[in-house]
Amino acid sequence: MISLSGIPVLSLIIFTPLVGALILAFVPGANVRAVKAIALGTGLVAFAFSIVAVLGFHIGDPGFQYQETVSWIPFFGIQYHVGMDGISLALVVLTTLLSWISILASFGPIKTRTKEYMISFLALEVGMLGVFLALDLFLFYIFWEIVLVPMYLIIGIWGGANRIYATIKFVLYTLVGSLLMLVAILATAFAYQSATGSWNGAFDLLTLKGFGFDTTFQLFSFLAFFLAFAIKVPMWPFHTWLPDAHVEAPTAGSVILAGVLLKLGGYGFLRFALPLYPQAAHDLAGIIIVLSLIAIIYGAIVSIVQPDLKKLIAYSSVSHMGFVTLGIFVFTQQGMQGAILQMVNHGIITGALFLCVGILYERTHDRRIANMGGLAGRMPVWAVLFGFFIFASVGLPGLAGFVGEFLVFVGTFAVSPVAAAVAVFVMIFGAVYLLWMFQRVAFVEPSEFLRKLGHHLTDIDRVEVLTLAPLFVLTIVLGVYPALVLDFIQQPVTQILHDLGAPLTGALL
Amino acid sequence: MTQNEWLAIAPVLIVAGLALLVIVVDLVWPRRPAIVTGAAVVGIIAAMVVTVAAGPIAGLSGQLPLEGQTVFNGTYIQDQLSVYLDLLFMAIALLTILFAPDYLEPRGLPMAEFTATLLFAITGAMLLAGAQDLLLLFIGLELLVLPGYMLAGFAKRDGLSTEGAIKYFLLGSFSSAILLFGLAFVFGFTGTTNIHGIADQLRSFTDSGNLPVGLAMGLALLVTAAAFKIAAVPFHYWTPDAYQGSPTPVTGYLSVGPKVAAFALLLRLFVEALGPIRADWGLVIGILAAVTMTVGNLAAIGQDNIKRMLGYSSIAHTGYIMVGLAVFAAAPDPATQAAGIQGVLFYALAYTVMNLGAFACVSALQRRPGVTSQISSFAGLGRRAPLLGVAMTLFLLSLVGIPPTAGFFGKAVIILSAVQGGGWLTVLAVILMLNAALAAFYYLRVVVTMYMREPAENARPVTIGTPTRVGLLLAAVATLAIGLLPALTGSMLDWTLSAARSLLLGA
Repeated sequence: MISLSGIPVLSLIIFTPLVGALILAFVPGANVRAVKAIALGTGLVAFAFSIVAVLGFHIGDPGFQYQETVSWIPFFGIQYHVGMDGISLALVVLTTLLSWISILASFGPIKTRTKEYMISFLALEVGMLGVFLALDLFLFYIFWEIVLVPMYLIIGIWGGANRIYATIKFVLYTLVGSLLMLVAILATAFAYQSATGSWNGAFDLLTLKGFGFDTTFQLFSFLAFFLAFAIKVPMWPFHTWLPDAHVEAPTAGSVILAGVLLKLGGYGFLRFALPLYPQAAHDLAGIIIVLSLIAIIYGAIVSIVQPDLKKLIAYSSVSHMGFVTLGIFVFTQQGMQGAILQMVNHGIITGALFLCVGILYERTHDRRIANMGGLAGRMPVWAVLFGFFIFASVGLPGLAGFVGEFLVFVGTFAVSPVAAAVAVFVMIFGAVYLLWMFQRVAFVEPSEFLRKLGHHLTDIDRVEVLTLAPLFVLTIVLGVYPALVLDFIQQPVTQILHDLGAPLTGALL
Repeated sequence: MTQNEWLAIAPVLIVAGLALLVIVVDLVWPRRPAIVTGAAVVGIIAAMVVTVAAGPIAGLSGQLPLEGQTVFNGTYIQDQLSVYLDLLFMAIALLTILFAPDYLEPRGLPMAEFTATLLFAITGAMLLAGAQDLLLLFIGLELLVLPGYMLAGFAKRDGLSTEGAIKYFLLGSFSSAILLFGLAFVFGFTGTTNIHGIADQLRSFTDSGNLPVGLAMGLALLVTAAAFKIAAVPFHYWTPDAYQGSPTPVTGYLSVGPKVAAFALLLRLFVEALGPIRADWGLVIGILAAVTMTVGNLAAIGQDNIKRMLGYSSIAHTGYIMVGLAVFAAAPDPATQAAGIQGVLFYALAYTVMNLGAFACVSALQRRPGVTSQISSFAGLGRRAPLLGVAMTLFLLSLVGIPPTAGFFGKAVIILSAVQGGGWLTVLAVILMLNAALAAFYYLRVVVTMYMREPAENARPVTIGTPTRVGLLLAAVATLAIGLLPALTGSMLDWTLSAARSLLLGA
């Protein structure tokens, strides 16, 4: 443990990528090597700062650590207020890790306008980190929206053939949700102001939570937040933007989309929606649990029939993220800790799966499962890694995917055995579509298409190994020793459940 | 007239004098646009300095005085509101003059006439903003719109420009007549043209509980005329044609100058004079706001011509601003009413810089005659002219309302006032936000074209003149700084609230 008093470590984390982006703006775009070096260096520095924050973190201390408060718009009591608890910490480290990995993974595939790409990517990182660390509702909203623009550009400029349709769909879906959330944020701040007569703290999460807004107000505000987060997660039936965005995004875009962006929704529920509107959360938990179960089942079934690797993984994300919302809304210690762990694990594993597909795409320029086959012989190292992450995604005990889902089952069982049974049953589907896909890609006779490619089909290279290696290690470590994350998130989860008040009754479902 | 009265009227006099000076300068040094532009820019900056130094806002710190200084036997007032709007109008004139040469000079259109006409219009807008009497209000309005018709038809050899100008002129004079008719009704029933006198008289009507039917007639005419002037649906049909036909810098001016001035008219007429009967017009404004923004956005989606698209989008923004007026009309307590007016004023500022900026990008692109207003002209602009592309993107994102831009804060202030009002105003706020998402679609399409489509084969590099560069820089910095600089955001919020309070002083 190291002492970090007086150092604005969170601002360092958030704004390092911004500084990197500004430096990049002044580097000539033709100097691709320098651009890449600066981008990767920035990503690594941000990662290093987040590790510093981990080392200085006091596990088990209640409340938020490293808090920074600077008055921003005193007229409405809006502050630059950031702070970190165990949940933010886990997701911040996930973000900084996946960001530099994605930057590294972009070196090969991104061949045009590298400088603009890297600037977009670093701006995206600023937004994501800000969301995970903001404690002021207004500040949170701003970071939330900042995420949108770079992702829009990344998909729209460097994406696949149908990229413009996908990116506009992505933006419109997300905007509809988030703009209503803005209305709810402003209404919440005003409700506080009219009750206390002062704008001081009207946007501050720590002041607002437990304020006890009236029931109807809670319901409408919660619904507005719910829409924003449900679209981001994405929950069924708000998921339709995701497969399009994933398929068209460049590899690194998919990695960040699946690895971090989807977690913004889950995090939003935990950090904002539940503590601010506990009554409404209780009232609607039953419905959200049902939606989560539908997402779990639907995502899995639809995955089975997908002909495209990326689309298959995208739908499997819908299913896996269903576990996250399920775990959150059963309101039990295990369920919620499981949900957070599942977010981290899903980020690592699915990020790795998209990297693997990207590596394959670089060589074949194709993602159709029917065009693959026999890759275990052609690209053995790649096939081993891909298989490894597929087994992790299926939920093989001993690998990371298992623990989160298991905890969600345990937490759900206490509230609703039926829901838990349904969720467990669906895991079989998970095994079906992932393993069947792996079989068709790696083992059966190579397709005509692959044979034509011939010697172009080289195995994974050193840089690509470097991108997958950290995720490989983490998948094993978190599978064997999940306490690494669970220790950090135990206290915050207890706090959220305390803020929520009485546990859910078993009468649901 | 006392010295204080001279000081209060000084900004208007300077701008009117400047318009005359520009004509003289052009007589002395004919066809030297640089001198004209330079004189106009220096003159406007001087007028702004005088307004700030002599006005009641020195330093923008502490409690601003709300009482104003009346001139001409109480027919004109310099208060927080008029100072705020005056500076906004002068800023509009300044930016428009900076953006104009790049478009006008290659087409052989005279810069001096343009500048003088524009400055006369601004004089009218400034008179309007401080009017305390229906007559001065109307004179100010006409002085504002008549030069506007001329500007719309400025490219007189261009058929589209003439067509747009005639449509604008016919509907504009028509609506002026309706306004005058409505004003006559108000005068007939209240017996005065003084704005405060009208308010007092109306208060006695409302206290006694019977509003004369004829006055309601007058109110209906006034709402109609005002809706024409701000281009609210269903009185918006002149907008797209006038916007498409006008030379692009004129379109930029038309989309902000007369629009903000028309809102100034609404503030003076509906809020200050007709405030006591706001229950009778509030709901109408609210419904018009919802319809205006929705129709504007839906129509904008289908446009391929960027000037028409921005024209329809400006209709949508009219709807957003009207929400602030509806808040004033329907809110129960004075604090929220002031917040609604504050929303109008703050949004007007944000809208001015971002919309004018967006039009400036269009006109800069059209520096080379022959570049059409089709959105496809923007193809690959991100690579052909990176800085112009970045500026346009910034303005468009601000128009969408993405933080941390001015457009976002404008929307936030209006929404905040609407949720303060509660009731159907909250519904209006939700409609506004859904509209903002709708609008994202067509704004982002331009970004898509700039960055995600390849430029046409024959696309040549884009060059921008120095005045446009300076203007774009000013607009872009303002678009960002209004949201990002805490001190600036704070003082703008304080100032707009003081302006709103000074307007509501008599209420």
